[in-house]
Amino acid sequence: MTTLGQLILSGIFIGGIYALMSIGLTLIFGVLRIVNFAHGEFLMLGMYGAWAMTRGLGLDPYVAIIAVVPAMFLFGGLVYRLIVSPALDKPHLVVVFATMGLSILMQNIALMLMSADLFDIPPVFGHAVTVGPFYFKAELVLGFVITAVCTLVLQWALKSTYLGKAIRATVQDREAAMLMGIPVPRIFLITFAGGSALVGLAACVMMPLFSVFPTVGLNFVLIAFVIVVLGGMGSIEGALIGGICVGVVQSLSSYYVAPAFGQMFFFILFLLVMIFRPNGLLGQKGAADIGIID
Amino acid sequence: MTALVQVENLGRAFDALWAVDNVSFSVERGELLGLIGPNGAGKSTLYNLLAGALTPTRGEIVFDGRRVTGWKSYQMARVGMARTFQIPKPYRRLSVVENVMLTAFQRHKSVRSARTFAEHILADVGLSDHATAPVTTLTVGLLKRLEVARALALEPKLVLFDEIMAGLTPTEVAAMTSFVSELPARGITVIWVEHVLHAIMRTATRVMVLSRGQLIANAAPKVVARDPAVIKAYFGEEMSLA
Amino acid sequence: MTRNPGFISLMPARGTLSVFEIALLVLCVVLVVAPIPQNLQDIIVLTFLWAGLATAWNIAGGYTGLISFGHAAFFGIGAYASTILLVRIGVTPWIGIWCGGLLAALFGAVLALICARLRGPFFILSTLAAAEVIRIAALNWPSLTGGPEGLAISPSADSTNMVFASKQAYLVLMLGYLVLSYGVTKLIDGSRFSYFLFATRDDEDAASAAGLNPLAIRTVALMLSAALSGIGGSLFAQYFLYLDPTSVISPEVSFQFALLPAVGGLGTAIGPVLGSFLITPMSELLRSYLGSKVAGLHLAIYSALLIVVVLYFPSGIAGALSRLSRRREGKP
Repeated sequence: MTTLGQLILSGIFIGGIYALMSIGLTLIFGVLRIVNFAHGEFLMLGMYGAWAMTRGLGLDPYVAIIAVVPAMFLFGGLVYRLIVSPALDKPHLVVVFATMGLSILMQNIALMLMSADLFDIPPVFGHAVTVGPFYFKAELVLGFVITAVCTLVLQWALKSTYLGKAIRATVQDREAAMLMGIPVPRIFLITFAGGSALVGLAACVMMPLFSVFPTVGLNFVLIAFVIVVLGGMGSIEGALIGGICVGVVQSLSSYYVAPAFGQMFFFILFLLVMIFRPNGLLGQKGAADIGIID
Repeated sequence: MTALVQVENLGRAFDALWAVDNVSFSVERGELLGLIGPNGAGKSTLYNLLAGALTPTRGEIVFDGRRVTGWKSYQMARVGMARTFQIPKPYRRLSVVENVMLTAFQRHKSVRSARTFAEHILADVGLSDHATAPVTTLTVGLLKRLEVARALALEPKLVLFDEIMAGLTPTEVAAMTSFVSELPARGITVIWVEHVLHAIMRTATRVMVLSRGQLIANAAPKVVARDPAVIKAYFGEEMSLA
Repeated sequence: MTRNPGFISLMPARGTLSVFEIALLVLCVVLVVAPIPQNLQDIIVLTFLWAGLATAWNIAGGYTGLISFGHAAFFGIGAYASTILLVRIGVTPWIGIWCGGLLAALFGAVLALICARLRGPFFILSTLAAAEVIRIAALNWPSLTGGPEGLAISPSADSTNMVFASKQAYLVLMLGYLVLSYGVTKLIDGSRFSYFLFATRDDEDAASAAGLNPLAIRTVALMLSAALSGIGGSLFAQYFLYLDPTSVISPEVSFQFALLPAVGGLGTAIGPVLGSFLITPMSELLRSYLGSKVAGLHLAIYSALLIVVVLYFPSGIAGALSRLSRRREGKP
């Protein structure tokens, strides 16, 4: 019973962190109505950045956030200007191929510069956090806390600030937003760059828990997509709920199901979600715009 | 002879809202039936139910003696029910004539015969000059004509028109109205959803009025125009008393 | 339609062969019979093979709009099917390749049904996931597939087992495959089926209103694409004589399937062939000069190329050539 509780709770924590990684993706979906196939590679980039700050400068990965997040914001803005923006007024498959190409480009540049070896950082906290009969890595709990705080701040910002409202307006009806004087192209840029910054934050939080290598993005991008679909496009609460579901399922299945099939199990889960719940657990309608027929 | 279309107690709900609520009517061959009503009355929903784009929550549709309730749009097309799209949906990477050929393929199996027939239809609607042009070069008015052409290329028994007048200039409206009014004489029954009332009122043999999902009138245009319930639905209580 | 008989027509050419296509075929035959050094022959074998594979992908991707980044699954199923039949049961590959194609087609049908309601990015993601499922299955089923150690085909030359001593025989084999794949595409081009595919790609609702069943069309397109890819996979196994899941069912292979048609011109018959003729030799040469020294450089170059092509030359090489020929003839 304690094992079950342990698994579920750690699943919730890691799920929260997965959600953090996915919020950027769901916002980009909701606002720009595109999929960034290089999302996993953005995470990889952030993780290498966190690793470099930690190993190179002796910083704490949580401190590295100060450098990595703005850097990822700038990187996202650059990618938007150079690759995404020119693709937006063209047929949809242009942005698909362009971001796919970017994904492979980033993977291979990482391979050339960093080699295929796994890199990781030493544990930040030497001990675990104990709550009753359960114990968790301190980095895991801290990561979850950061996620929770970040989600709350984002929710507040989306509801109360002008920028937040402009973003929500663009999600609901792009043309109406334009007619209202909202600078939609700038909203696109800010959302894309902001989403990338959030991925950078997730990368710093995940570095103490995972190793980084050039193709690490592939592992996580599918998780991110499942979370976004489960939670509904453009929904931050949805991403959190979706993340927790995924985290718990993964935690339980990696214990009860053979590890070799763990990965495959996850892909099958993805296909099942696509077949049976493409509109998300909460039944969000946004999916139909992007590519799911009811 | 049985009616071409028989609709019984048709209903479609979206969560708790009945967009179409217990609608029953029939359409005889050779009729030109107008379907009007204020915004939000459920015209589009009824239209899509007939076209097979939506499945009914309740009720039956019988077309040409067949129970077609719940049939998908391609099945409806194959038994002779054609439809247009309110916002034209052409195949963007094909030319104008090729757009029409697609529908023509249902009755004309070879590429050559489909093309010949498509060219014939284009001449019919006055799009011959644009036959080999890419669809992306057409204006709204011409795109609407293309929608009509595509529907007619099915050689349908029944054609459903969805607000084909929207966005047309007065000249275009007049041309389209006279074109549509001649269809029944060619053996094509028409159900026409439209907002441009004068076009319908002048050409329809019968008009149905929807309001809040329900059928509130189903009679000749002159009768419907004076029906207090219809006036109330469009203009509110006060106007109907005047 | 007698437009542009000399160059490439972007629109379906109704089963006619253009002079350009015939010239290309003649060039291929010349490459087969000419006395070319062996290492270059290797490159030509792969170029022909990839031209056929890219053409197969294009039937689903370019013509029907089913962009797949998981075609390595079909490739792998074909390769493993014929190899397992040969190595474990002794069935000749001359039969085995067709079994491979059939099995791949079945998987294509399953995938089409699973993804019936998915469009755009969700379809693409599902193809990625499906390919990974196949790869992991192959990796973890040693009794069937040999697991991570893979399967090897005996290299002793035996034409009944489709193993040849001369590279030239392989050149003929692969050219035959290219002609098969291309021929199927041209047959589609000449028939109303091509219109059905284009309509389903361009506007599914309108296609449905025109009497087409989108699910049936997507399924047939994917099955055809899968079958041809599977046959290509089997032929690859016979050439390379060794299979393992990580190299055969990899995302890199899947990427190549999509890259070649994108560069060459989606939705045209000749595009994928041009894409392969450009990229495959470059790829092999880069690999042999840089290869182990700077792992990942050639893929980095291709992906950068893909980004540039897709943003600035969306109709690929075929589109560019077509525009050139139209300008030559004084058309807009």
